[in-house]
Amino acid sequence: MALAVLGVSHHTAPVDVRERFHFGPHEVHEALRRLRVEAGAREVVLLSTCNRTEIYLFPVEKPEELAGIQGHLLEKAGLTLQDGEPYIYQLHGEGVVRHLFQVTSGLDSLVMGEAEIQGQVREAYLAAGEVPVEPALAGTVLHRLFQSALAAGGQVRAETQVGEGSASVASVAVELARKIFGRLKGRRVLILGAGTTAELTVEALGREGVRGVVVANRTRDRAEALAARLGGTAAEFEELASLLPSIDIVVASTAAPHPVLTQAMVDEALGKGGSSPLLIVDIALPRDVEASVGDDSRVFLYNVDDLRKIVDSHVARRRTALPQAQRIIQEHARQFRDWYATLEVVPVIRSLRARGEALRQEETEWLSRRLAHLPEEDRARVEEFSRRLMNKLLHDPTVRLRQGVAEGGGPELVRAVRFLFGLEDGGEEDAATQGHGDMGVPGESEKYLEDGEPDTHSLDETHSLERG
Amino acid sequence: MGPGALLSLEPPPLPSSAHLVIHVVALILYVGAFLFWLRFLLSGARGDGPRLASWLAGIGVVAHGAALSHYVLVYGELPLVGLGPALSSLSFSLGIGLVATVLVVREAARVGIVVIPLMVGLEAVALGMGVVPAPMALDFQGAWFALHVTLAFVGFQGLALAFAAGLLFLAQFHEIKAKRLGSLFRFLPPLPVLDRVGRVGLWVGFGALTLALSLGWAWTVRYRGSFQWTDPKIVWSVVSWLVFVYALWARRGSGGAYKGALAVVTGFGVVVVSFLVVRFTAMGTGLFL
Repeated sequence: MALAVLGVSHHTAPVDVRERFHFGPHEVHEALRRLRVEAGAREVVLLSTCNRTEIYLFPVEKPEELAGIQGHLLEKAGLTLQDGEPYIYQLHGEGVVRHLFQVTSGLDSLVMGEAEIQGQVREAYLAAGEVPVEPALAGTVLHRLFQSALAAGGQVRAETQVGEGSASVASVAVELARKIFGRLKGRRVLILGAGTTAELTVEALGREGVRGVVVANRTRDRAEALAARLGGTAAEFEELASLLPSIDIVVASTAAPHPVLTQAMVDEALGKGGSSPLLIVDIALPRDVEASVGDDSRVFLYNVDDLRKIVDSHVARRRTALPQAQRIIQEHARQFRDWYATLEVVPVIRSLRARGEALRQEETEWLSRRLAHLPEEDRARVEEFSRRLMNKLLHDPTVRLRQGVAEGGGPELVRAVRFLFGLEDGGEEDAATQGHGDMGVPGESEKYLEDGEPDTHSLDETHSLERG
Repeated sequence: MGPGALLSLEPPPLPSSAHLVIHVVALILYVGAFLFWLRFLLSGARGDGPRLASWLAGIGVVAHGAALSHYVLVYGELPLVGLGPALSSLSFSLGIGLVATVLVVREAARVGIVVIPLMVGLEAVALGMGVVPAPMALDFQGAWFALHVTLAFVGFQGLALAFAAGLLFLAQFHEIKAKRLGSLFRFLPPLPVLDRVGRVGLWVGFGALTLALSLGWAWTVRYRGSFQWTDPKIVWSVVSWLVFVYALWARRGSGGAYKGALAVVTGFGVVVVSFLVVRFTAMGTGLFL
């Protein structure tokens, strides 16, 4: 019995393939329901973002069980087994734990340390809890696994520099705009040119509440097409001078061979535009904005080299935090492993207490028959005495049993307790957890288990192992 | 701060150790708050430093208020006369201003990294000089005097807050202009937040100081019949008032936020330097701030 994860990510599949595997927010509940009903998954969580789609499962008895889940994924992507299988990876046991903790901490993200993934993991976990099936899809093990992952991710972000500083041009622009304008709601942005980076930057600003997007391009058609996508209006370069006074942020990315925005235009605009500052993000090569524009104290001008330097320094700083982040993840993984190990003693403890309770009741009944002359109050005291005695007798063995199992003495201890107290075998429920203190590996799939130090490339290695 | 007057010949009462202990507790809490801010800044603006620093400063202000209340109970007068009590009251006034700022604009809590050292400095000097009443000028009493000094304190409180916000504004402005998006950039609040705190501080301070000076002038003319324009404390008060006027004037027009910040920072320097000059060259009675 094991934890398992099956999925595709930016490590294994290009964006056009990842898009096919992607589950939109409105599709997740139905997909989870089908995984339970049709594929028989007991505990299941589906994580689907633009960079990965992963299905977390527990328990997986045999590798063949994953074939059904994989079938669902391939069906969703509209791919045959032959076409789709090379993109899909599987992890089992502790590999799943380390992988999810790294994903949640942003260490496995395309842009290392990005914070959005923490919220996406939380939403995936919550979505599993919202599907109205019994027992719950995020059951005992996956509930604990995701809670631990979110705690690990939170601690990594709080205590390391993994998520510090913006690591993309778009996020640097947003960070700058926040510091220059405070709240971005209602601010107006002008895009010069129709490049992808400019579009991404404006989309990022839009998420912060920036409104009133104006797209200016040499050709009106392209400007209108982009403006339609961004919910803005189109304009031509000739209108720049009249537009500029009402603009707060300019994102320039034209292919023009000479500056499009001149010192004279900006001076005139600032003269008319009051005291509001102007942020200009010039990501064009050659530059779209005359360098002297940045000399004005009301203008904050960043060109592509400035932005690249900032992004590079932030990424470098994030990388220096990797060892510390990995230590935090290892510690959380260890705690999860310890908790998981204690699962195997739950049925034993339950049996032990049931046995004790049965004996207690038997003996108090025997005593009650002989002390029938006692008033009701005294008999209640005898009952209470027997209960307290039993609880005290079983308390230490219970605590020490959990402790011993957490420290690695699982199967021997469990056997010893069963033998000493004459407990019957735990049956099916017991078998569900017994002997899998390492979170188990199904059948012959030990080849998937990662034994080395976890790192951001573990998934690639695992995938190559799988394919190898 | 007020007109000169005859001095009482009675010696001041002995200091009460209880309120001094509370003063020291307040000082320690202020120092603790500042250290949390510093640690937060040096650690790359990570962790829950701001929350702890704000709480410590807030508790410090409460303790400081308790110490000053105890002073009133022990000595039967407001802690306004004598350099020690007056500096301690000014420090407390800055604390109140800081707490009010944090409550209104949470993001502006970081001006604490400048305001708290000012509070610590004022309170430390006050304790060093002794928070005990000075031999009191007989006409330095009554509601007019309390109102005059309190308004003056509010005036300097506003100026100090505007100075703190202005200093951080300039630092943030230079970080962004220099394209250094490091830990100082992350630590400092957005420019409009700092500008708002500076603007409100200046207007509140200007209004309060104008009222304080008008009150002092009216009283002097009414009861003394003459106004000594060459009196150093009056010169200093007028210099301070002109600094406000200059800082408010500088804010007008395009790029006013930056010019206003620059003006208030230099203006605050002028006020402090002129005070030190006046204090250590002309006066020395212990009655004048």
